Amino acid sequence: MATPLDDSLARCRTLLETPLAEVAGGWKCAHPGGSVIGCFPVYTPAELIHASGALPLGVLGAGNQVEIAHADARFQSFVCSIVKSTLELGLTSRLDGVDAMVFHSICDPARNLASVFKRNFPGVPVFYLHLPQNMGARAVEYLDAEYRRFLAGLAELNGRAATADDLRSSLALFDTWRALVRGLYRVRAGSPEKLSAAECYALVRAGTLMPVEEHAALLGAALPALEARPARPKDRIRVVLEGSFCEQPPLELIERLEEAGCYLVDDDFLLGWRFFGQDVGAGSGDPVRALAEAYVDASVYSGIKHDLREPKAKHLLDKVRALRADAVVILAAKFCEPALFDYALYRKALDEARIPHLFLEFEEKAWVFDRLRSEVETFVESMLFA
Amino acid sequence: MGRYQDRMHLLQKDMMARYYAELQVSAEGGGEKAAYMLVSGNPVELVRAFGLLPVFPEVNALQLAVKKQALPFIQKAEELGYSIDNCAYVKADIGCYLSGRKTPLGEIPRPSLILCNYVGCNVYLQWFEHLAEYDPTPIFNLDIPFTRLDHGEPAAEDVAYVVRQLEDLVAVCEGLTGRALDEARLRRVVELSAETGELWSQVKALTRRRPSPFDAYFDSVTMMAPLYCLRGTEECRDFFRAAVDELTERADAGQGPLPEERFRIVVEGPPPWPYLRTFRDMFSRWGAVAVASTYSTVGGLWEFGFRHDPDKPLESIARHMLQWNLTNRNFLQRYDQIRRYVEEWEADALVIHSVKSCRLFSAGQGDMREYFTKELGVPTLLVESDLQDPRYFSEAQMKNRVDAFFESLSHRRAVTGAAS
Amino acid sequence: MKRPVAAGVDVGSTQTKAVVLDAERRVVARSLVETGANVSRAAERAFEAALDAGGLAPDDVAAVVGTGYGRYKVSFGDAQVTEIGCHARGAQWLFPGTRTVIDMGGQDVKGIRVGDQGDVRDFVMNDKCAAGTGRFLASAAEALSLPLDAIGSIALCATSPVRLSTVCAVFVESDVLSYLAAGRSVEDILGGVHSAIAARTVALVRRVGLEPEITFTGGVSRNVGMVHALEAKLGMKLNVGTDAAYTGALGAALFALERAQAGVPRAGLAAS
Repeated sequence: MATPLDDSLARCRTLLETPLAEVAGGWKCAHPGGSVIGCFPVYTPAELIHASGALPLGVLGAGNQVEIAHADARFQSFVCSIVKSTLELGLTSRLDGVDAMVFHSICDPARNLASVFKRNFPGVPVFYLHLPQNMGARAVEYLDAEYRRFLAGLAELNGRAATADDLRSSLALFDTWRALVRGLYRVRAGSPEKLSAAECYALVRAGTLMPVEEHAALLGAALPALEARPARPKDRIRVVLEGSFCEQPPLELIERLEEAGCYLVDDDFLLGWRFFGQDVGAGSGDPVRALAEAYVDASVYSGIKHDLREPKAKHLLDKVRALRADAVVILAAKFCEPALFDYALYRKALDEARIPHLFLEFEEKAWVFDRLRSEVETFVESMLFA
Repeated sequence: MGRYQDRMHLLQKDMMARYYAELQVSAEGGGEKAAYMLVSGNPVELVRAFGLLPVFPEVNALQLAVKKQALPFIQKAEELGYSIDNCAYVKADIGCYLSGRKTPLGEIPRPSLILCNYVGCNVYLQWFEHLAEYDPTPIFNLDIPFTRLDHGEPAAEDVAYVVRQLEDLVAVCEGLTGRALDEARLRRVVELSAETGELWSQVKALTRRRPSPFDAYFDSVTMMAPLYCLRGTEECRDFFRAAVDELTERADAGQGPLPEERFRIVVEGPPPWPYLRTFRDMFSRWGAVAVASTYSTVGGLWEFGFRHDPDKPLESIARHMLQWNLTNRNFLQRYDQIRRYVEEWEADALVIHSVKSCRLFSAGQGDMREYFTKELGVPTLLVESDLQDPRYFSEAQMKNRVDAFFESLSHRRAVTGAAS
Repeated sequence: MKRPVAAGVDVGSTQTKAVVLDAERRVVARSLVETGANVSRAAERAFEAALDAGGLAPDDVAAVVGTGYGRYKVSFGDAQVTEIGCHARGAQWLFPGTRTVIDMGGQDVKGIRVGDQGDVRDFVMNDKCAAGTGRFLASAAEALSLPLDAIGSIALCATSPVRLSTVCAVFVESDVLSYLAAGRSVEDILGGVHSAIAARTVALVRRVGLEPEITFTGGVSRNVGMVHALEAKLGMKLNVGTDAAYTGALGAALFALERAQAGVPRAGLAAS
């Protein structure tokens, strides 16, 4: 018999397979006059969009469901898949219902994609956020202004401006929601047999496709049910996965990874929705300022943020130690320059710390995973029988 | 390159030799401290004002490529875990750095400051972060907000943000050199940059003439090295005076780089350094001369009127970094820049050299091609190779495409010629 | 004196073809030889074989144009024209309504937009990566231990073609093996292989527009599975000639004839 948890999981999986245009259309039916803002990875200040009365909708490529037939002509073969598939979504009317897109300065192809969108879809406003890379007080001041510019653009689009109270309550709501997502990852870290990485992924990814209030309710119901879920731990190695912060691997690939003999006790999937490891905490202060401060001083470390206040691999080593992980899998999207660059420094640090690691490349459009699975199996065997 | 630009070429060679000799002295422990920085929209004026020696890893990397010595360094970096798909400039430089920093032009000093002028290129951030990890050195990320507003100008907050960071950088340089900023010197350096920018834009205007007195792609390279490495010095300004004189003479005499100028082209994208001569020959044999190029604007875009302002040194450095260089301008601004070249420099065609290493340049050039062929009706050729990695150049394939393109242009011209 | 004839020699990486045309643009002779290691010699052999076939002497030929990758090795040629120019010209001779040419060979895929005189209006080629070219088909055939010329007709029998993760000529083998291991039929696997290349090709050629009529040339045009897959993606019929292999040489011969009729004297080797 299906439990309420199974129902939630099924609902999430269905949502993941629902075309974005349908998701956008559905929300707009329920929220007449509201607008839907497509958010390209990695991090978008969804709080600001929410406070403006719009829906932040994750536009994270087309996975392995859409054949690239037009975007190949615009971006070369050495450009990662998500850039092409996201453009393909637009060129094939699969983003109908999305009223504006947000891109930002994660990498060079994504930045050029923003321009290509603007040229090819003149009716859809494109917001481009430059996120700071000189972390410190100057950056907070700058980002504060950048966020206010974004808010002004949203106000123009929506015909109404978010008030300080709107912003404060959105920040608080997202804090609550992020605590629930952290709860899921605590289950993964503590008893990974209760929640597979693919299930966890589906639960979190659904949050990129529905209003945060609804998603918080869904997670709030799922979490206690998880704790009670009967499951027996398997003999698997504990792995921290890193490198898939932008383009997302197919769900089946995540399943295969675990089946090959590991528990993914942490990952950087959907990183933009998990950008803060702690509450932003608007309190009574200025909410925009608080969000800017959180980005500069309290957001996660990753390959698209160059925070020179600590070495590149420190956060990864910290994670491995805190989670008592046995190994690290670097799962980089093919042609993803930030992830590929990170790997050189991660590899050095992991070798020095004598932490076993495996490097894998994937493409979102992958459909067959046997080769990848045997690589992981071999790696796991080498650790179990070492 | 030097066949016909004799005086300029010799001057350039001398200057660059002196520059690399300075690097050698610094590498041996004498001379000035080295500040590593990047070519795109760089604030070399500030570094010069402190008497620091600017070192450009991109220039070192491309020298390795030109001398066909890059591959072993690229491979060394790949052994360390860099991907075949990572920028080969970075790999050649890191491979070379970790092998003792010896280049064909001399030894490169270790940095006393790693100044990452993040002007558009995200790989810059990776590159310098990695260098600083391999060889712990003070590092400063100078964060330049990208040009992203509809009107194409930086926001007032962007200018303020960059100026404040430059002030922070001044403090860093003061700490490093033990000297306070000499404001008169900074003004003078900025003034020299302004004069150089003026002369360089005069040079660029000359290619509007028929025939163009020099090739705005292949020959601009000769002038770019001093423009970036030595800008803000009297020597550099004097070089550009000589360049204006020599090239004006040539233009007045109706001399071009080829016996006959049959096609005027605009070239987009960096050159294939390891095969520069081979690549150039492919165009020369068709009588194709570049009258404008985007690559010659990576470090700064002066031909549309920008000049540094000695009365507002930091603000004008900030504006140069924010707005007046190719890399910090968005892709559509680049379309517009090329469109102006095609129209105002009266070009027959656009050639896009798509390089795998530099996705800032190349990602989306298929869309650019679409815009120029379909929207503007400008014949456009897109060829692909790399700026640094010799493994990525296929001569027969490239030649085939270049030949087919000019065959078709020749045919079109014959037909329209017959019709009129 | 005999009326002058003109010849085109297409020196490809595996085969070299020669075509001789008379003044009325009729094919009077042709030949096909393996290129082998000596490219100049292959051009000579092909030319001589065509002359023999037509009962002609070298002096009967008023002009020779070389094309293909080895076009500069046609030492007795008067001019060189790329195979892109020659394919456009040749395809239009074969099918006068041609406005678009899709040419698929071992390493290259080309899309050419053709003007009403058989001139090249625009062209695109695959980028550096060989993904989606004939090489990909060869890898798939190899993985299945099937002869390359058999896979097209087998693909036609697919009932539910598989989806491939890649059009990479290197990785296709492991995808094919995975599907075999999963029990999928060879027909469905090959159906998927052809459909993947067709999708990529159509995406490429769309850059020059897909104006009908579309003529399919190059070695892979002999593969019925690929013809079918392309037609399915395009939603229209393709012109496919039985003499597709000679398209380049034919185009070169047409260029040569133009030279001869314009009274350009034979030059031997000259830069175009």
